[in-house]
Amino acid sequence: MQGLPGSFPENPHARAPRLRGWLLLAPMLAWLALFVVAPAFVLLAYSFASRGALGAVEFGFSWDNYARVFDPIYLKILARSVGYAALTTVLCVLIGYPAAWFIARRPPVWRERLILLVMIPFWTSFLIRTYAWIAILKSEGLLNGLLQASGAVPRIFPEPLALLYTPTAVVIGLVYAYLPFMILPVYASAEKLDGSLVEAAHDLGAGPLRVFREVIVPLTWPGIAAGMLLVFMPALGMFAVTDLMGGARVSMIGNVIHNQFTKALNLPFGAALGVVFTLLFVLCYALLQWRGGRARPAAAPAASNS
Amino acid sequence: MKKLRHLILLGLAALCATTAFAAPKKKKGELNLFAWSEYVPQAVLDGFTEETGIKVNYETYASGEEMLAKLQAGGARYDLIQPPDYVAEAMIKNDLLVPIQREKLTNYGNLLPEYLGMPHDPEQRYTVPYMVGTVGIVVNTERVKDPVLGYADLFAEKHAGRIVVLDDGRELATAALYTLGKNLNDFSDENLAAVKPVLATWFKRVKLFDSDSPKTALLNGDVDLGLVWGGEAALLWKEDKKFQYVLPAEGAHMFVDLLGIPKRAKNVENAHLFIDYILRPEVSKLISDDFPYTNPNGAARKLLSADQLANPASYPKVDRKLDTFRDLGDAAAAKIDELITDLKNAR
Amino acid sequence: MTPEAAAAISASPRTGRRPRFSGIRFLDGALGVWTALVFAFLYLPIVVLVVYSFNTSRLNIVWESFTLRWYGELFDHTPLMRTFKNSLIIAAAATALSVVIGTAGAWLLHRYRYRWARGLQSLVCVPMVMPEIVMGVSLLVFFAVAGIELGHSTVIIAHTTFCFPFVLVAVQARLQGLDPSLEEAALDLGATPLRAFWLVIVPCLRPAILSGGLMAFTLSMDELIISLFTASPDARTLPMQVFGMAKVGLNPMINALSALFIVTTVAFVLFSEHLRRLANR
Repeated sequence: MQGLPGSFPENPHARAPRLRGWLLLAPMLAWLALFVVAPAFVLLAYSFASRGALGAVEFGFSWDNYARVFDPIYLKILARSVGYAALTTVLCVLIGYPAAWFIARRPPVWRERLILLVMIPFWTSFLIRTYAWIAILKSEGLLNGLLQASGAVPRIFPEPLALLYTPTAVVIGLVYAYLPFMILPVYASAEKLDGSLVEAAHDLGAGPLRVFREVIVPLTWPGIAAGMLLVFMPALGMFAVTDLMGGARVSMIGNVIHNQFTKALNLPFGAALGVVFTLLFVLCYALLQWRGGRARPAAAPAASNS
Repeated sequence: MKKLRHLILLGLAALCATTAFAAPKKKKGELNLFAWSEYVPQAVLDGFTEETGIKVNYETYASGEEMLAKLQAGGARYDLIQPPDYVAEAMIKNDLLVPIQREKLTNYGNLLPEYLGMPHDPEQRYTVPYMVGTVGIVVNTERVKDPVLGYADLFAEKHAGRIVVLDDGRELATAALYTLGKNLNDFSDENLAAVKPVLATWFKRVKLFDSDSPKTALLNGDVDLGLVWGGEAALLWKEDKKFQYVLPAEGAHMFVDLLGIPKRAKNVENAHLFIDYILRPEVSKLISDDFPYTNPNGAARKLLSADQLANPASYPKVDRKLDTFRDLGDAAAAKIDELITDLKNAR
Repeated sequence: MTPEAAAAISASPRTGRRPRFSGIRFLDGALGVWTALVFAFLYLPIVVLVVYSFNTSRLNIVWESFTLRWYGELFDHTPLMRTFKNSLIIAAAATALSVVIGTAGAWLLHRYRYRWARGLQSLVCVPMVMPEIVMGVSLLVFFAVAGIELGHSTVIIAHTTFCFPFVLVAVQARLQGLDPSLEEAALDLGATPLRAFWLVIVPCLRPAILSGGLMAFTLSMDELIISLFTASPDARTLPMQVFGMAKVGLNPMINALSALFIVTTVAFVLFSEHLRRLANR
């Protein structure tokens, strides 16, 4: 059901709102209109403006900024960001799915404790945790210290591992930052899954692989889809991890947008990138909802019986 | 009923909170300082607050452009900013700074005349020098045995993957201009085209771009060489003498970071008080203790220890006249930025 | 966004059945080991942070000896304390606003069949999943165009905008399990719709409101990117200060700060769990 954010829970007892209902809803509507919709339009207006003296904005109408977005160099950055975000998503599924499944299959008390344990690290500042990774990965850091102490450095690796400021470090940072966003929704789906369905499939002679592919995956798909969205989208826009752990060498789309606003003094171009980015986001969202909608009907009748 | 009351209270609290902050507050005792990261010691701010009762809000940036961007985006209002010379020049041209009322600065005379009346503000009407520095090469001599004298040695093939540089397009492009023997303030299209291949080769060998604190990676041993702010190199030297500072043979420039009051400042009076406070010798010495750049305050220099004055990165022995950055105008700045973005993403 | 948000998004009624099938039981051990490794990965940086917060060395490299010095310095550090106060004010105001808007919104969307309800629901969820940088930037340009000076109010507005949907979704999940006859009974007994809402519905929703509000509070306390774009110098938040300090090198004071944060949040969580259990009893 609530696999993806934005799916609407039906209430059969709901009634027609009439004037009063609308009036009551007005404050929230006004808030959304003022602080979500209006800023989006201002951003759109900026994206057609041009850069003035010393970073000022000269309003007007030109497609120049969009033309520049589709310059090969920015397309390349976009492609690379998608690549990194996709890799992060895949790794999060591979690492997170088994753990989420395992946790969901514990007795209720343990399940709740374990899932709480997944969430606790994320109550400390995300930045601070990233810095902790720097302390671990740097060449005179914890990891290399341990390798050295175990004697592995001279034997297995000729010299200390230079992990920090490499793409590997960026991927470690991204996976670390977003893993719980995968574990939690998958867990929520897996927890709902009725074990007897899996058992029934077994009894009907399906092998473990087939059970996994044809019963477990479709039934947990809403969780996977939600997790993918929650990992992929923010990973795409991330700039702090790439700056801090990648040594600002690897640019992702988030870095470029950030740079336009903080260094290049080109707000209109940054706005255009932001608009394209938002469209990309809407596309992913629609795609996942569509895919989720398609995967669900097969499993839904069975699941709703549970 | 109790719950009802709780909710109403919560709602009221929300309302109060928003209305209280929605109304623009006219606090007299505040100073919104927008300055470089790692540049103003907390002790100086605390001392100023203690003496005057003025609360200082210190926000930081890592490049002159970042400062301008935040200022130009509107919204936030700062009372005192710390632009580098070439940014100040552009700001003066575009009428973004208010004149300094020099009669309010009783300690102005402490400044050494050689740092006054420079091309960015010839009459010294809008700015007051804060700190001066150079950009040079720092070498971990324990790990790098061959002599490193200039940019060509720094970016040599054998140093690939061991270099940190400032994440600052203008600085990097300038270094490339120097190696080609060109004028550092001439970013004509022809010169830009010429520096491109040079920078492309360099960027392949750079491990890390960092303007905030390039010394960290050097201290951590992740890199062995760097193109850094002089003050950062001075701190490294203070930590360990193995870090040697070199002014590049091909050419080096000096920067002057200034204090200026932006047009929309709310607390001009407090800004003047703060500038005057900074100009006191004993306060200026505190800054030098923490961030050992070249101190333009003559009276403060007399208070520094022999060790501080001997730091080669703070007070380099200069046998030539150092250049300074000039404002390039908007078009050239945009072109440099595009060039750097291109090159960083070329791989 | 934080994981509790993710949990809220996909929150669902529990069925709580245990698997009985034996076919994949042998996998359980392997999965257990895998999960343990995942937890090790999640907790490694936290452990490092806490351990180094007691280290005398300034650089997080070698263990020198035990000290509480950083904890002491923490409380004397003016900007950290000041931004912490700002963060508390902002988070409290944003939470209060989010709770009001989110609870009312969830209830209204549940009670009435609005036209375009589906679209509205999607719109509500936009701030939850929207990339922070785009949201921060769009709010900044909006405030600039609207001539609103940045200050505490702008940060509170920005934080409320991305926090209240979390309250709304949490309350919505709870509403689904609500017996529709509850309100009808109250109305039949002569209560006005407003009184019925206050006296019958709100108490039922309290656990969801609490957990939603808690989520809003923690989200607001941890937010960095949107704050970077919407805060004025005197409304800087703690994460902004930490970011500024951490950018210039690892600082044991920040380690101490995060260790304190972990302890507080764990206490917070345990307390809210306790509340939840009391409420469910």
